[in-house]
Amino acid sequence: MNNQHDFVVPSDQSFTELISSLATKFRVHRQAETVSYRIFYDTVDWLLSNNGCVLEMNEDEQSRRIYWRAGKDAQLKIQLGLRQAPRFASELPDCEFRSQLASIISVRELAPRIKIKIKRTPVVMLNKKEKAIVRIKLDENWFYPMKRRAGCLLSKRLWVKPVKGYAEANQQIDALMQMMDLRPAQDNMLKLALAELGSSTTQHSTKLNLMLDPDMTSEIALKEILLRLLDITQRNTAGSVQGTDIEFMHDYRVSIRKTRSALALIKHVLPKDTIKKYKKFFAGLGKLTNPVRDNDVFLVKLDNYKQKLDKNKQEQLQPLQQYLIDNRSEAQRQFIEEVKSPGYRQALKEWRAFLEDSALLDSPLENTNKPACQLANQLIWGTYQTVLLEGNAITDESPPEALHELRKSCKKLRYLIEFFQSLYPAKRVRELINALKGLQDNLGDYNDYHVHMQILKEFTEQSPNEAAVKACNKMIKALKQKQQKTRNHFAERYAAFSSHDNQNEFRELFVGSLTGDNNE
Amino acid sequence: MKIIAIYNIKGGVGKTAAAVNLSYLAAMDGARTLIWDLDPQGAASYYFRIKAKVKGGGRKLVEGKKDLDDAVKGTDYENLDLLPADFSYRDMDLLLDKTKKPTQRLRKLLKPMAYEYDFTFLDCPPSISSASESVFTAADILLVPTIPTTLSLRTYKQIKKFFKDMGFDSAKILPFFAMVDRRKQMHRLIVENPPSFMPSALNSYIPYASEVERMGVHRAPIADFAAKSRAAQCYQSMWDEVKTKLFPHHN
Repeated sequence: MNNQHDFVVPSDQSFTELISSLATKFRVHRQAETVSYRIFYDTVDWLLSNNGCVLEMNEDEQSRRIYWRAGKDAQLKIQLGLRQAPRFASELPDCEFRSQLASIISVRELAPRIKIKIKRTPVVMLNKKEKAIVRIKLDENWFYPMKRRAGCLLSKRLWVKPVKGYAEANQQIDALMQMMDLRPAQDNMLKLALAELGSSTTQHSTKLNLMLDPDMTSEIALKEILLRLLDITQRNTAGSVQGTDIEFMHDYRVSIRKTRSALALIKHVLPKDTIKKYKKFFAGLGKLTNPVRDNDVFLVKLDNYKQKLDKNKQEQLQPLQQYLIDNRSEAQRQFIEEVKSPGYRQALKEWRAFLEDSALLDSPLENTNKPACQLANQLIWGTYQTVLLEGNAITDESPPEALHELRKSCKKLRYLIEFFQSLYPAKRVRELINALKGLQDNLGDYNDYHVHMQILKEFTEQSPNEAAVKACNKMIKALKQKQQKTRNHFAERYAAFSSHDNQNEFRELFVGSLTGDNNE
Repeated sequence: MKIIAIYNIKGGVGKTAAAVNLSYLAAMDGARTLIWDLDPQGAASYYFRIKAKVKGGGRKLVEGKKDLDDAVKGTDYENLDLLPADFSYRDMDLLLDKTKKPTQRLRKLLKPMAYEYDFTFLDCPPSISSASESVFTAADILLVPTIPTTLSLRTYKQIKKFFKDMGFDSAKILPFFAMVDRRKQMHRLIVENPPSFMPSALNSYIPYASEVERMGVHRAPIADFAAKSRAAQCYQSMWDEVKTKLFPHHN
């Protein structure tokens, strides 16, 4: 039963489409979807994992099986028909498994640490006699950190295995591989899950990829969204403090901004006092890191801007560069001071404890117990209406502030859709996000130019270096032109976003779905 | 790997039906399962829609000149492979007698398969011979389907005596009642009060059911085409019971 191959399927690839394309070339039969779980056990300090061992339970509707992998390449040692994983080595009958386990964990306790849900679509390739000759499994692997009620997409995989005794099976697999052009999987699910947990720094995902249940209450859904954002914030903290890769700070700030949006937009779900306290806390972090990010982005773009100036002027901009670096350093210093303060640590600790608390709130507010999908529909549809109102009101004469407001509303809409994405048909939501993204890119560029001109103006007002000020003024002029050019493209981007078809699609998804007919 | 032989001297008692259905249930549990159709009639191979023929001949297989693994065919079910029957198995005794230590032969042939499979089911032909001895040596347990009639009980006694006389461990023998027709008084009496010489009889039994016969029409295990039928449920209970016998430590 070997010759199995494991490939990575792009996360936005739909299995239904994939099977349809297979059916054009092969005789395939799609079998009923199954759901199973892989639960990994370890001590609280990951003794098994650190010793290259794996103790996992596979569970589906019919059975539970324990697998023990140890030794070189974590080869499978024992598969047991145990109904429960042992909590202690001493619970096992006297056998090799017990002695191997005891040699690593001694008297320590094992607990479930990682849970992976596998939604599997099996497909078989048939020969002319309708015999199964190749088995294909399309797996969606969802990672559920323990104590969590919503998962995040870890990886989509395609497994292919020839059925024994059929010579043509390998030819079919070769043809399949040529057709699909898939990348062989390098990491196993445990490794990916550990990376998600933050035990490894090799993987870095800032996508929410949450799987919410439509019947989940809004309280649970919101807490899960906020927990996932908190994970991302914390995972990016060390990198942001180190400051060598600016993407850490970017991801850190995005997670903070999304947290603030979630708190501000998803109202009447969590207690007012808590919301007020943390809105203030996260707003403070946003404000504190604004100058770091602004200077980061400007420093990156400065090289590009300089290209437009002649060589002489480029050299004169050296003081500006230093000014940006100094500003950034000061902002970074303040950020580090904050992150290392006991108050910061305590606030995040309490925030996590609040979000992880599975007890339902005593005094439910208006939306606390509302089904998540119902609240999501209302919020997304309402915010979409705001975007349309603000967008429709913009004319060539509108002030920059109007575009700034629209940009903020678009962000809110985007975040809301992303938070609740898993409740809607994936492909249709993705297309809406893409349309929105086109508009956001335009508004984002417009805003960047605005911020950069601001920084330049501040520099010119305080710099004694006349040559540098002159070069900066020249640059401001160039940026103004660029900003105008961006503004000229606004109308077409907005028209694409607010097209009749798109409006219908929004209505169908977020108003039509109130009747529950939105499933793919 | 656990080896489960389904055996009886008598024919037509439901050996193949048990081998096919139990091996299917083992595979559905997620266990990597092999069924070896040792009966030259090839009924198990037929049920799994696989030709009863070993490429190159069964003789080479038994003599160890061809790897068992090369003769294995995947069934239509995941985790379930089959070693097809071969007409040469009608001379299994002769084939085995030509080898060294014929009684150890099957065990030796199956040894390398332990890396590939969790369970191997042996669907044995109805006879008592040196081939049977080889099966008795290889198997961890011997499931003996027995029709609840006087004659069948007598046959069961013969098997037990043979086991004892040849020095095999009788604890391996697990009889169960098959083709039980509860309309018949004798069947009811025997199933409800198994004779004292059958202390290890399984609690679960297989009824006389049309689904078992329909396996030949569907060419599939019962749970595949009539999952909710009584016969399918009976095989499931039996498999659950067999697992508790095989793994008494597991809760």
